Amino acid sequence: MADNFNLREELARCVKCGACMAVCPIYRQTGREELVARGKLALVERRQREKEEPAAGNLSAFYRQAIDHCLLCHACEDNCSKNVQITAIIKESRREITAARGLHPVKKALFGLLRGRFGGLRTLTRIGSWLQLLAWKRLPAGSGLRRRLPLPLIDDQTVIPAIPRRNLDDRLRRRPAAAAADRPAVFFYPGCTARYLTPELGVQTVAVLEKLGYRVVVPREWTCCGAVVEAAGDRQTAVELQQRNLRVLAAAADRGPATVVTVCATCGHTLKGYPLPAGCQVMDISEFLYAHRQPLEKLLAGKTLDRRLTYHDPCHLRRGQKITAEPRWLLRLLAGDNFVELRHPERCCGSGGSFGVTHKALSRQILGEKIADLRQSAAAVIASGCPGCLIQLNEGIQMEKLAVAAVHPVTLLAELLAAPPAGETAAAVPTSGEEKKTPAKSRRAEKTSHKRKKG
Amino acid sequence: MPVTEGLVVSLTRMKRILEIDEENLTVLVEPGVVTGELQEEVGKHGLLYPPDPASLAFSTLGGNVAENAGGPRAVKYGVTGQYVRGLEVVLPDGRIIRTGNKCVKSVSGYDLTHLFVGSEGTLGIITKILLRLVPAPEAVQTMLLGFADMEAAARAITAMIRRRLVPSTIEFLDRHSIDAIRDALPFTIVDDVRALLLVEVDGDAAQVRRDAEAIGKLLQDSVRLQMSATDAAERQAIWQARRALSPAIARLAPHKINEDIAVPVARIPAVLERFESISRQAGLPIVCFGHAGDGNIHVNVMLDKNDPRQAAAGKQAVREIFAAAIELGGTLSGEHGIGNTKSAYFSLEWDADTIAAMRLIKRAFDPHNILNPGKIFPPVS
Repeated sequence: MADNFNLREELARCVKCGACMAVCPIYRQTGREELVARGKLALVERRQREKEEPAAGNLSAFYRQAIDHCLLCHACEDNCSKNVQITAIIKESRREITAARGLHPVKKALFGLLRGRFGGLRTLTRIGSWLQLLAWKRLPAGSGLRRRLPLPLIDDQTVIPAIPRRNLDDRLRRRPAAAAADRPAVFFYPGCTARYLTPELGVQTVAVLEKLGYRVVVPREWTCCGAVVEAAGDRQTAVELQQRNLRVLAAAADRGPATVVTVCATCGHTLKGYPLPAGCQVMDISEFLYAHRQPLEKLLAGKTLDRRLTYHDPCHLRRGQKITAEPRWLLRLLAGDNFVELRHPERCCGSGGSFGVTHKALSRQILGEKIADLRQSAAAVIASGCPGCLIQLNEGIQMEKLAVAAVHPVTLLAELLAAPPAGETAAAVPTSGEEKKTPAKSRRAEKTSHKRKKG
Repeated sequence: MPVTEGLVVSLTRMKRILEIDEENLTVLVEPGVVTGELQEEVGKHGLLYPPDPASLAFSTLGGNVAENAGGPRAVKYGVTGQYVRGLEVVLPDGRIIRTGNKCVKSVSGYDLTHLFVGSEGTLGIITKILLRLVPAPEAVQTMLLGFADMEAAARAITAMIRRRLVPSTIEFLDRHSIDAIRDALPFTIVDDVRALLLVEVDGDAAQVRRDAEAIGKLLQDSVRLQMSATDAAERQAIWQARRALSPAIARLAPHKINEDIAVPVARIPAVLERFESISRQAGLPIVCFGHAGDGNIHVNVMLDKNDPRQAAAGKQAVREIFAAAIELGGTLSGEHGIGNTKSAYFSLEWDADTIAAMRLIKRAFDPHNILNPGKIFPPVS
């Protein structure tokens, strides 16, 4: 939500060179000029000129379609030699469309829930966990649900995670208080997915942070980060959600410097864009772990994963937060030489929040290329630091009937930490942990770890 | 983009590679094929399509032919036009003509093929392209060489060429360019390096090694930084210096005026000196980088167009840049073409009779002036 952003100037900076065409996942599939950044920006420019006329036309279906066809993957922005803020332009245009035409009824209802009416997502997921098996059937090995009955927007290939009976808050409340009160605190922002759909990931994150000597605080007042809402052009709700989270952050930072850890690339990207209170920093879990690499290596004590592992860069981690080295460092630490790169790890998986639901066919085409790369890598596990990507990757894996697990790096780490010590079969400590430049942010985090030693 | 109201004809979905002829070393393509994708495809057959414009990841061959695109490898391999053997073209009245053929020698009638090469879409719409290919070189070595100043770098270029060492690529970066990218690089460039050359040699492995050694020895007294790479990842790291440049320069000032003049290679030191003094007079930084090996220089006048003084000084500087290039035997544009932004300067380079001859051709093909109106030619007063 950049406020120092001038739409007119930003549009004028695009010289229509077409570098975006080389990297846009949607253009790659469709070859349609109006669906690539350069075309969209030309349309937005024309729209802005039209608005100056006394009788500005309505927003045409063609225009709305074009602006709607964006995964917000930042690939064009990253490849733009003029550094045009394309994502901000798309969001701004969506805001205009939403203001004029309103939200899709499903989104409107969902966003209403996020704003806290009727008990919010907590109630919805609780009811959903009871009712889901009426409409969905379970897939083997807990890999998700597939529909039984015809449903709008969802076809018989769609795989969604089963909604668990107990959400993360419930699970943490039932957990024995492992950490002494005098330990240094770290705040954990699980995001909606890890909180309501995959609470196991949340529990694993807490377990890992505790092993590193922290007391993990998960305020119940956290709410949705607002990324989905902002992407749909609902600025008002996005601001409301941001303010609620900022109140939690302000309370956290009140008692000294506070570090907030995220496990969702999109949430992390969004939180980092907030006007954060002084003394408050947000870190992706991979950054945080990198900052604690020495104790972590000691904890792992030579245990390694014996399956071939690969990695998918979440857009909002790679391009949104410029994080590429830390997750790879972690995966090499976990799997040693079993870690292999995908042919195009940087390409979007096609999920793009609700894009995967509203543009199913196109989203699946984009996913298809990712799954082909995955097949070629011959990996048994694909890791990715974004629950949204994981849901999408899992769907592709189910459709192609591959024997591959899509998991968060933290899940792998938690499992290894919980495994018995390295026996004779385990591989030696990996030596290929090529450490790139230490990211500036993790240095700040090291201070946190010093504090821990004092405490 | 149309100068006034107009229709854009996009051929990006005509993107089939129709035939790779491994015996005659040609490839027949549709105009929407992306340059980089063609290179990847012919590479699988051990062949090379050498023209490599910086935009090869998204530029199409139709556009490359219509603009006669260049690229860093032009030093050794030449530009797009040197690889075009024949075309299929739709004329403004709808007739479809075919030019050229697969023959190495072919002198039957006018060379219409090369009339359309570089015509900027003003004569016809290219719908098929027959291109020449060459065997892919066995090895490539990339070197990054640092010098105390641009003069030393320019002397190094002429020294190499006089020694009959012909690298496939010689790119240069001036001191402003180096300052702009220094922080973005995976390696350090020491402060007393104020000019960089990126040199590539290719060929069979033994020859590449010999050439690289000869270059190292020839320049050992003037070089202050030397990096060398043969494997793909390391070569990428060196190329990053060159590729990071455009976005980095965009951050130096709110706006830039970017021209791509070319001069005979031996005149590079002279023309860069002229640009220095133009920069001082205008009170605006001028950043230069580009294809030193073929004399094509990207000249960037950095300014804030919202400041009326800077806007006027920038405009004046551009005129002087063009004048200097032409005075030294050069041209307005090495690879970008004239379009509509340079048409006002067209008469600096060509006399009235030459422009009239060009107009005659335009009128013969497009009497109603429906293809790319307003491009190349200055408006008739």
